[in-house]
Amino acid sequence: MKRLILVATVAATALATAHARAEDIVIGAIYPLTGNAAQVGLDAKAAYEVEADIINTTHAAIPMVMGKGGGLDKLGGAKIKLIFADSQNDPQKARAEAERLITQEHAIAIIGSYTSATAATISQVTERYEVPYMSADNSSPSLNQRGLKWFFRTSPHDEMFSAAMFNFFTEIGQKTGHKVKSVALFYEDSIFGSDSSNVQRKLAADQKIDVAADVKYRANSPSLSAEAQKLKAANADVILPSSYTSDAILILKAMAEIGYKPKAIMAQAAGFQEQAFLTGAGDLAEGAMSRSSFALDATKSRPAIAPVNALYKAKNNKDLNDNTSRDVTALAVLADAINRAGSAKPEDIRKALTETNIKGSDTIMPWAGVKFDETGQNTLGTPVIQQVKGGVYHTIWPFDVAVMDPVWNVGQ
Amino acid sequence: MSLDAMLQVAASGLLMGLIYALVAAGLSLIFGLMDVVNFAHGELMMIAMYAVFSLWQASGLDPFILLPLVAALLFGLGMAIYRLLIARALAVRFNKGMVQIFATFGLAIFIRGLAQMIFGGEFRSITGTWLGGRTWNLAGIYLPLPQLAASLVCLLAFAGLLLIGRTEFGRALEATREDREAVALIGIDRDRIFALGWGLGAATVGVAGVMLAGFYYVSPNVGANFALIAYVTVALGGFGSLLGALGAGLLIGEVEAITAQLLEPSLKQVGMFAIYLAVLMFRPRGLFGKI
Repeated sequence: MKRLILVATVAATALATAHARAEDIVIGAIYPLTGNAAQVGLDAKAAYEVEADIINTTHAAIPMVMGKGGGLDKLGGAKIKLIFADSQNDPQKARAEAERLITQEHAIAIIGSYTSATAATISQVTERYEVPYMSADNSSPSLNQRGLKWFFRTSPHDEMFSAAMFNFFTEIGQKTGHKVKSVALFYEDSIFGSDSSNVQRKLAADQKIDVAADVKYRANSPSLSAEAQKLKAANADVILPSSYTSDAILILKAMAEIGYKPKAIMAQAAGFQEQAFLTGAGDLAEGAMSRSSFALDATKSRPAIAPVNALYKAKNNKDLNDNTSRDVTALAVLADAINRAGSAKPEDIRKALTETNIKGSDTIMPWAGVKFDETGQNTLGTPVIQQVKGGVYHTIWPFDVAVMDPVWNVGQ
Repeated sequence: MSLDAMLQVAASGLLMGLIYALVAAGLSLIFGLMDVVNFAHGELMMIAMYAVFSLWQASGLDPFILLPLVAALLFGLGMAIYRLLIARALAVRFNKGMVQIFATFGLAIFIRGLAQMIFGGEFRSITGTWLGGRTWNLAGIYLPLPQLAASLVCLLAFAGLLLIGRTEFGRALEATREDREAVALIGIDRDRIFALGWGLGAATVGVAGVMLAGFYYVSPNVGANFALIAYVTVALGGFGSLLGALGAGLLIGEVEAITAQLLEPSLKQVGMFAIYLAVLMFRPRGLFGKI
């Protein structure tokens, strides 16, 4: 009893000295922090920590949503507190971690999770416990089409991304006179790979583009030489890979080893947007194209990119990329909703999220903005197409925001 | 499919098969010697890959030059693992099998965690080596030089291991394998033989790791991609049979390459596992097993 009184007194004093400091807002973040996708998870962690600092600490205002600092003003300056959990890139472990974060750590929202396979299980848990799941960087189109009430996604999904690729094919065809006549699909055997390829197959049929090869492969195989041989035999105008980092490096090497230089590669980002891929594949990556939801070079129209990137680089010694930029944005959007809700109750936050309407210029993304439809999907996320030159991605489409002319070898 | 394409499939399967065999050789050696399945086998290979990567980064020397150094390092590491861990696991009085499994399995998790702590989770690649990215075009059949070199080294390593088998040490190894109790009576230090066996097994997988690093990425989990196939190779070839491991490796490489062409590539391991199951059912000692 004595001890209890002591604890109570200490707590009361602490509260008094903090001048009724508002309670922290606990958000759970689930990422692969060990295992094959660990680096992506660790980079995401760094990005979230940078964004949490931007929201929580006092600093010169950054021209983006929640960029003025000092905590959540409508909640008495409450701070965002992130608790990270390791999914090991395993859907079942991700499910267990989501339960733990909600029931044990009392997270009022979950954010995550890189791979779509893990997002599928996490969002089932958040639906059951009725807390918002903010999908920052999962790209499978099926995720928001399951009738979930608590699922929100700031990022475009692979249907939107793939549509952008095929629009680019049309426009570059008109511009150069060299149309895309055939594509080869190359995708891993996961929800990410199959959803992505389904959309691409459909878009190709719509545009009467021939699918010359349809290569589904096992992720993290010791060798991709058989797959490379199939791609070589098809010799399509454009190869469309949906792969994570390790397989992205491997397939480029495997194609080179059998003397095959594809005319064009248009990647569903993922591994192709990672620095490890650019370093590992080296010269082989030159000319590769990828969709992206982020354009580091769009600093003119998005003044927040420079200061946010500087903070991130100071912490993690690399530039923001397709994934980490989406993480920063998702947390900013979630924090903005919590702030507008003026409450830590999940139901209030959900309502605020549905009312979100943020202009693209108030983010670091090249999007038109952030506004969720009834499935929780942001409808204003407009992707860009980028191409590797000198080991760095440059934006090449839409043509009005491009910083470089595309190198287009199709039909030559 | 054209003749060229078929030959290319066969050649790729052959090169990959020899690499599988080389990875499996050390595992087969240790298992044959003392009936211990080393679940940290893939992790030893990963250590060798990081070792050659770090040495290459620090010195700029080609992996070929670093090969003996890394093999020696792994030899020492293998002996240390035996002395510090396996010897103790073998000495327990009850549930020996379980203790051995958990000891090496725990070691695997520990090594993987340690690698991520030291090197991070990034995928790393050795670039600008003598053979890196070069391909030999043999009348339309492409043979990537790093894989070709790895295959030759594999054959040399098997020849070396078979030669060792003819020396006094090799005969002691064989005797210990056949009857570990009786050899003590004729003055063979069993503990020393076991330690050297572990050293040799680790050095062999070290050689595999160095050759692999010439064309494959390095990451804390890289061992797992190859370890499963190594276990299948050893079981298929017959536990403890070195030539069996070589034959089984080649078989797996070819079956995998052909399955990928006939079925879709995501099912390319189906053929290999089907053969594995059939062998387990009808010839459990393995294709070339003596026991």
